[in-house]
Amino acid sequence: MSKNGYLQIHDPLKPKGQAVGIDLGTTNSLVAAVVKDQPACVPVDEGDALLLPSVVHYAKDGGVVVGARARKLASEHPTDTIASVKRFMGRSPDDAETRKLGHYKFAPGAKVVRFDVAGGTPVTPIEVSGEVLRALKRRAEAHFSTKVEQAVITVPAYFDDAQRQATKDAGRLAGLEVLRLLNEPTAAALAYGLDKGSQGTFAVYDLGGGTFDISILKLVDGVFEVKSTGGDSALGGDDFDRAIAQRVLETLGASEAPAPALVAEVLAASRKAKEALTDASSVEFTAGGQTHSVKREDFDAWVQPYVQKTGTVCRRAMKDAGVTAGEMDGVILVGGATRVPAVRRYVAELFGREPLGDINPDQVVALGAAVLANLLTTADRQDDVLLLDVIPLSLGLETMGGIVEKLIQRNSTIPTTAGQVFTTFKDGQTGLDIHVLQGERELVEDNRSLARFTLSGIPPLAAGMARVEVRFQVDADGILSVSAQEQSTGVSQSITVKPSHGLTDEEIEQMLLDSIDYAEDDIQARQVREQRVDAERVLAEADRQLGEHGSLLQEEERAVIDSAIARVRELMKGEDHLKLKEAVHALDEASRPFIERVMNQAITQVVAGHSVEDY
Amino acid sequence: MRTHFDVFGLKRAYDVDVPALEKQYRELSLQLHPDRVAQASARERLQALEGTTALNEAFKTLKDPVRRAFYLLKLHGIDLDREDAGAQKDMPLAFLEEVMDLRESLDTAMAKKDLGRARAMADDVEARKKAALAEAAESLRTLEADAPGAGGQELVRKASHALGRVRYFTRFLEQVDAFEEEIQA
Repeated sequence: MSKNGYLQIHDPLKPKGQAVGIDLGTTNSLVAAVVKDQPACVPVDEGDALLLPSVVHYAKDGGVVVGARARKLASEHPTDTIASVKRFMGRSPDDAETRKLGHYKFAPGAKVVRFDVAGGTPVTPIEVSGEVLRALKRRAEAHFSTKVEQAVITVPAYFDDAQRQATKDAGRLAGLEVLRLLNEPTAAALAYGLDKGSQGTFAVYDLGGGTFDISILKLVDGVFEVKSTGGDSALGGDDFDRAIAQRVLETLGASEAPAPALVAEVLAASRKAKEALTDASSVEFTAGGQTHSVKREDFDAWVQPYVQKTGTVCRRAMKDAGVTAGEMDGVILVGGATRVPAVRRYVAELFGREPLGDINPDQVVALGAAVLANLLTTADRQDDVLLLDVIPLSLGLETMGGIVEKLIQRNSTIPTTAGQVFTTFKDGQTGLDIHVLQGERELVEDNRSLARFTLSGIPPLAAGMARVEVRFQVDADGILSVSAQEQSTGVSQSITVKPSHGLTDEEIEQMLLDSIDYAEDDIQARQVREQRVDAERVLAEADRQLGEHGSLLQEEERAVIDSAIARVRELMKGEDHLKLKEAVHALDEASRPFIERVMNQAITQVVAGHSVEDY
Repeated sequence: MRTHFDVFGLKRAYDVDVPALEKQYRELSLQLHPDRVAQASARERLQALEGTTALNEAFKTLKDPVRRAFYLLKLHGIDLDREDAGAQKDMPLAFLEEVMDLRESLDTAMAKKDLGRARAMADDVEARKKAALAEAAESLRTLEADAPGAGGQELVRKASHALGRVRYFTRFLEQVDAFEEEIQA
């Protein structure tokens, strides 16, 4: 470990520590880096797990827990534990996606989604994602024993400008310089292409937890040219979980406004059932106090509408790329949800060939991101590799009658620019409203509104005489900036588009300031917080068992446990996380004989009433 | 002014060798792209961004025969993409009648949700678009190859009318596509 760190610190080409690739996923997130010319994922969670569940728990005392530990807290604290936050990035509270089955409390009256969580002020999806990124950064730093300040972060290819901007802001909040927002399918292709030295036309079918992407790429002489991309940023494996959960809730008679804790429990059980159905033909599980069983064929039928939706998107992408399924040299599967047999079958049928999946579909995106991070930070490169990516959705302006005039068509290679000249329509008009939109539809209200601003200071002339040129520039991250200039006087205005549903620059600045304060608050304090959350969980469990089964204990046994509990409670007030950890451990030890007795009693009760012959 | 042809060091012409253009595009991208200078100074990165933006624009325009034709016409002073382009109002009466006919038939098909009819119309319009583009290409070739002198204005007018039709047909086909997607969804 220190050896790696030593090399990195003294490598003059890497003045900023280790550059990493981050797959900021709906369900899980990963970090990878290129070390000794090989990209590899970095352990980021308990037990050296390479996947960090994208779950953030906010505790009452302001502490934050990220990852598997947070996920364990979800059913107990459903509204304070945010999972799948990616679904909410860059979205407004009244987006259809925001209102899907879930167990969160939203703070009312805001233009931006804000989760009402324990421990103070409501948090935005950007901040929640920032916590996930910060955890990844910290754990990668521990692994490499060096700073991690530069990252390539992947986004679904179909993310719009607001979602991209939100992701970049989350990176900034986590103290990362975002070298590039990289489209996930392109990242996967990079991992495959470099690995295999492939040439030809490939389709990357990426079905993650919450998003679906399809990209058609052409690989020639080291240049990865994306020909077209398509997708649905509100479709993924989570929908499969919800399809099961919906039926379970109906069975439980709780489909109308179910309690958040029940929803969290049922969703978790449904996810496990879905995973089990990859290999099993039927599965049984308990949720809400009842046993449920799901057959693979029923599950396949429930998810069919979602799977078919991906087909429509794939056909359009092929059409945009000007290729047919038969002309494809390979189909690459990415994302955990492509493990679902119904999905694999559908993809094989759609493209008329068996898809490739030899790189782990969970890791392939992070590995590709690491490759790009390395390319972007290594000055002296031997390999001529280049990515030419596209913008997924058309960009346009509102014109008379609420119609969108497209300036940049979807699937244009980025970076790109476009301009359009508008004229005034009233005599003496001195201002022009500029409304920037993203999407494919003709009417303004059917597209995503990205920004509105007014160009003022136009000289008062007769209608049609003043001419305003509006220019769009899209950078290599797919992020738009807009400028407008009145041509006779040169009055100009320029803005980087701040999405209508995003945060203002001031808000981001404030959060950055807050997070710097937070960073100074050392690791020790964070560990205390994390340990406290753990302690709370153990205490709650002990209280429950003692309440229900306290009669199983002798007085002196009870005293031992009580004193262990008292010690934990005492240390929770202090700042020494190591002592607290010891105390929690001691409580565990002290209660073990008791817990065993509780288990034995439960078994005895079940066995009672049966004669030996029954067994 | 630096034209899209200049970006590739090509002589201005209607006909372009697209496979050769693609190869050159990849080579130039490898030289110019911002990713090649990601850690360099802000000025170099801005130059790379501008250079690549211009390259992408030039490639997009030249690889596609329709865009290429519109671009050449623009170099001859007629920009059909401009909202206030006088050329748009200047189309022959016969064309306006053609537009009205097509519009009416498509509206009827769409009202009846008759995808078969819409597709058949699209096939017909596709053929008309091809013919109109060939007509424009003919004029543009002559314009670029010879110095047509006084005949030049007439050739520009012919190309402009042909491309005006191409433009309309393209929009028509987009509408049929959108209709098809709507029906399938």
